Amino acid sequence: MGDMEKLAESVSSLQAAFEAHRYICSEEIATAVFLAYQLRKPILIEGPPGVGKTELAKTAAKMFALPLIRLQCYEGLDESKAIYEWKYGKQLLYTQVLKEALGEVLGNAKGFRESVEQLHKFGDIFFSEEFLEPRPLMKAIKEEDGCILLIDEIDKADHEFESLLLEILSDYQLSIPEIGTIKAAAEPPLVFLTSNNTREISDALKRRCLHLYIPFPDVDLEQRIVAARVPEIPPALQQQLVAFIHELRTLDLKKMPAISETIDWARTLLLLHADALDATVVRDTLNVILKFQEDIDNVKGEVTAITAKVAK
Amino acid sequence: MGVERTISNFIRALRNAEVRVSTAETLDAMSVVDLVGYEDKAHLKRSLSLALPKTADEKNTFDACFDQFFQFQDVRGEAANDSKSESEQEGEESGEGGDGEGGGAGGTPQTQNRRKKKSKSKAKQNNLYEEEEEADLGPGEITEAHSPLGKLLMANSRVELAQSMAKAGEAINVREIQIFTQKGLYARRIMDYMGLPDLNQEISDLRTDSRIPARRLGQELKQRRDFLREQVRDYVEQQFMLNADVSGKRLREEMLRSVKLSNVEHRNFRLIQEMVYKMAKKLSTLHSRRRKVFKRGQLNVPKTLRNNMSYDGAIFDLYWKSVKVDRPKVFAICDVSGSVANYARFMLMFLYSMDEVMPKVRSFAFSSDLAEVTELFNRNKIEDAIAKVLHDYSGGSTDYGQALLDFKKLCLDDVDNRTTIIVLGDARNNHGETHAEVLKELYDRSKRVIWLNPEAKLAWNTGDSEMRKYGAYSHQVEECNSLMHLERVVSNLLRQTN
Repeated sequence: MGDMEKLAESVSSLQAAFEAHRYICSEEIATAVFLAYQLRKPILIEGPPGVGKTELAKTAAKMFALPLIRLQCYEGLDESKAIYEWKYGKQLLYTQVLKEALGEVLGNAKGFRESVEQLHKFGDIFFSEEFLEPRPLMKAIKEEDGCILLIDEIDKADHEFESLLLEILSDYQLSIPEIGTIKAAAEPPLVFLTSNNTREISDALKRRCLHLYIPFPDVDLEQRIVAARVPEIPPALQQQLVAFIHELRTLDLKKMPAISETIDWARTLLLLHADALDATVVRDTLNVILKFQEDIDNVKGEVTAITAKVAK
Repeated sequence: MGVERTISNFIRALRNAEVRVSTAETLDAMSVVDLVGYEDKAHLKRSLSLALPKTADEKNTFDACFDQFFQFQDVRGEAANDSKSESEQEGEESGEGGDGEGGGAGGTPQTQNRRKKKSKSKAKQNNLYEEEEEADLGPGEITEAHSPLGKLLMANSRVELAQSMAKAGEAINVREIQIFTQKGLYARRIMDYMGLPDLNQEISDLRTDSRIPARRLGQELKQRRDFLREQVRDYVEQQFMLNADVSGKRLREEMLRSVKLSNVEHRNFRLIQEMVYKMAKKLSTLHSRRRKVFKRGQLNVPKTLRNNMSYDGAIFDLYWKSVKVDRPKVFAICDVSGSVANYARFMLMFLYSMDEVMPKVRSFAFSSDLAEVTELFNRNKIEDAIAKVLHDYSGGSTDYGQALLDFKKLCLDDVDNRTTIIVLGDARNNHGETHAEVLKELYDRSKRVIWLNPEAKLAWNTGDSEMRKYGAYSHQVEECNSLMHLERVVSNLLRQTN
C-alpha cells in the first residue's frame, strides 16, 4: 500500500515508474493516472486504435502490483455477463438433494399454512451470495486490496450497458435486487475505460470520468517508445523508421499506422538485419504497417521519395 | 474568493466556447485545483483538460480558451505578475497617499476594500494617488472639476468608478459583444456614456487656462482619464471573454440557423453542411434510444408461466411479448425548380444524414415532371447526389398538378397507413391545373401528409400560390425556410414515425 502511495505521489514519479515498466508516456497520461488515483475517479481513454490505451491499464496493474480484471465489451453484453449471475445449476442440484430432507424440515408442521410458515424461516437461502456467480465488475468491487478494472472498448457495448456502469463508476457499489447493495472494499478499484470512438459515449458516463485523449505521439516520444520496446534496434535505423511512420501519417490513409505497428515494424526490420531504410526493404515490409491493400498500393508509389527524405 | 470565482468564470468562458461543462464537472475541477495547486500553470492546464473537456474537439477549444483566459489573470483572480505580499504593501502605501492628498475626498476605506477584490493594473493605480507633476507646476492648490466624470475621477473612489463603469456597460449592452474587433467600439461607447466628451472638453479648456491650479487639474484629469481608459478596456475584455463567441463560429452558426436557406451564400455551404450533419446527429442520438428498445423482445412472464403449467412448472417454452414490427415509410417530394431548389437541397441533406434512425426515405424530385431519385442518393455521396438532382430536374416550369399525377402513377400502391408524405414546395403552380384531388387521395390513404412551404406565411395564397387548396388536404402545413424550421420538422417527424 505504502508503495502505491509513493508511486502515485507526483506526476514525475509516476512517469518514471511507467518508464521502468517499459511504457513511455507523455505528461498528459501520467497526469491522468495521478489524478485518477488521487481523486478516485475512473479514466475514460479515447484515441485511435493502437496507441496503447489498453496497454496503459495493463502496465498500471503491473506497476501498482494489483490484479487486473478485464471486461471486454461487445454488443449484447448485459448484467448477467458483466456483474453477476445466479448459479442456476447449483440451485437446481441443491433443490433436488434437499427434496429428501424436506420431510424433516417440515417435520411436525400441520397443514399448508404452517408448512409455508416453516419454509419462510429458511429465508432466501437460494438467493444468497453462496449461489452468486460474480462476473468482472462484481469481482473488482469485492477485491480486498483494490485492483485495476479495465473496461475495454466500451463503445462496442450497447447504450443500456453504459447506464449499468454508472453506479459502479460514481459510487463504487453495485445493487443486486435479491441481496442489496454491495460496496467496494476499503480500497476501491482503479477503473480504466477505453473507447475507439465508434460511437459517441453518453454524457452521463463522461461526466463521471476523467477524459484522456491519447493521440499519435510526436517523433521524440515515439522514438523513446521504440527504444524502450525494441532496445536492440540500432539508433540510426530507429530514427529513420519513426520518421518514415510520421511521414505516412500525413498521407490520406484508410488506417494510419499506430504505435503498435511501429513496434512490429521495428521488430521485423531487426529480424531482416536491416541497418538502414531503403526503398526495397520498405516495399517488402509495407504490409506490416499498412493493413489495407488500397493503402499499400497508394503508398508504394511514394516509398522512394519518402525513404530518400527520411534518410537525410 | 479568488480561486473558486476564477474557476467558475473560466468555466463560463468554456461553456461560452461550446464546451459542455456540468455542475459535477465544475466540482471536479475545484478538487483538481485543490490537488495540483495553481503554481504550475502547465500542470494545471493538463490536469483541468482531463477533468473538463470530454471530446478531442473540446480539448482543442479548451486549450485555446485556457491560454486566452489566463493570459490576463492568475488563477487567484489577481493580475499576473503580482504576488500577494506586494499587493498588500501597495495597498498600504496608496492608502497613505490618499490620506495625504487634499482631493482624497474620503474614499480611502472603500478603496482598500475594493482593492482586495479588484487588484488589477496596480501600476496604474499608483498614478491615481501619487502626484507625478510636470516640472513647471509644483504641488499645491487645485481647482474643482466641473464635468460629472471629472468629479467622479477626482473623487478617487474606485467603488463608484467601477459602479459607474458597470452601469455604463449595462446601458450600452456590453454583454452583446460578439467578436473581438468590437472591443474598441464597446470601450469607447462605455467611455462616452460615462461622459468622456465633456471631460475631454474640460481638459482641453483647462490646459489652456492661464491659472496654475486649473492647469494642474487639467494634467491630473488627463492622467486619470488614461487610467480610466485602461480600466474600461480590461472590463470590456473580461465581458468579451465571458459573453462573446470567442471563435466567431457560433455567431455565424447562430446566424445561419435562422437565415433563409435561399439566401445562403455559396461560401457558407460547407458550414451549413456541417451544421446539418451536427443537427442530424443530435436528433439521431435523441431518438436512437427509443428505437433500440422497440427492436427487442421482452419475456412475457404471465403467458410463459401459464403455458408451462402443464410441464410441472419446468419452464422451457418461452413466450415473448410480440415485437412491434412497424416499418414506417417516408416519401419526400421536392420541388427543385429555381425558387425552392436550395430548400430541397438542405432538406434532403437532413433526411439522408439521419439514415441511422430515419425510416426508409424515398425521394422524388420534380419541376415539371416527377421522378424518383432514391437510387441516386443510395449510390452517390449526398453532395454529389444533390448536385446531380438539381442539375437534372430543375429545368422547366413548375407544374404541381402534373407532379402529383406522376406520383400517383408511380407509387400510390405503396402508400399505406404507415406512410408519411412530405411535400416541399411553394405551391406556385403558374395558374395550371392543381389536381388537388390527387393530394386528397394521398391524404386519405397515408398516415400523414406534411406540406412544407419555404415562403413566409403572408405570401401564401397570393398570386399563383395554391396553398389554400393543397393545405386543405395536408395534415400539417408549415413554413419552413431555415435550418431551425427544418430541425423542428424532422424532429416532429421522428417522434411520430417511431
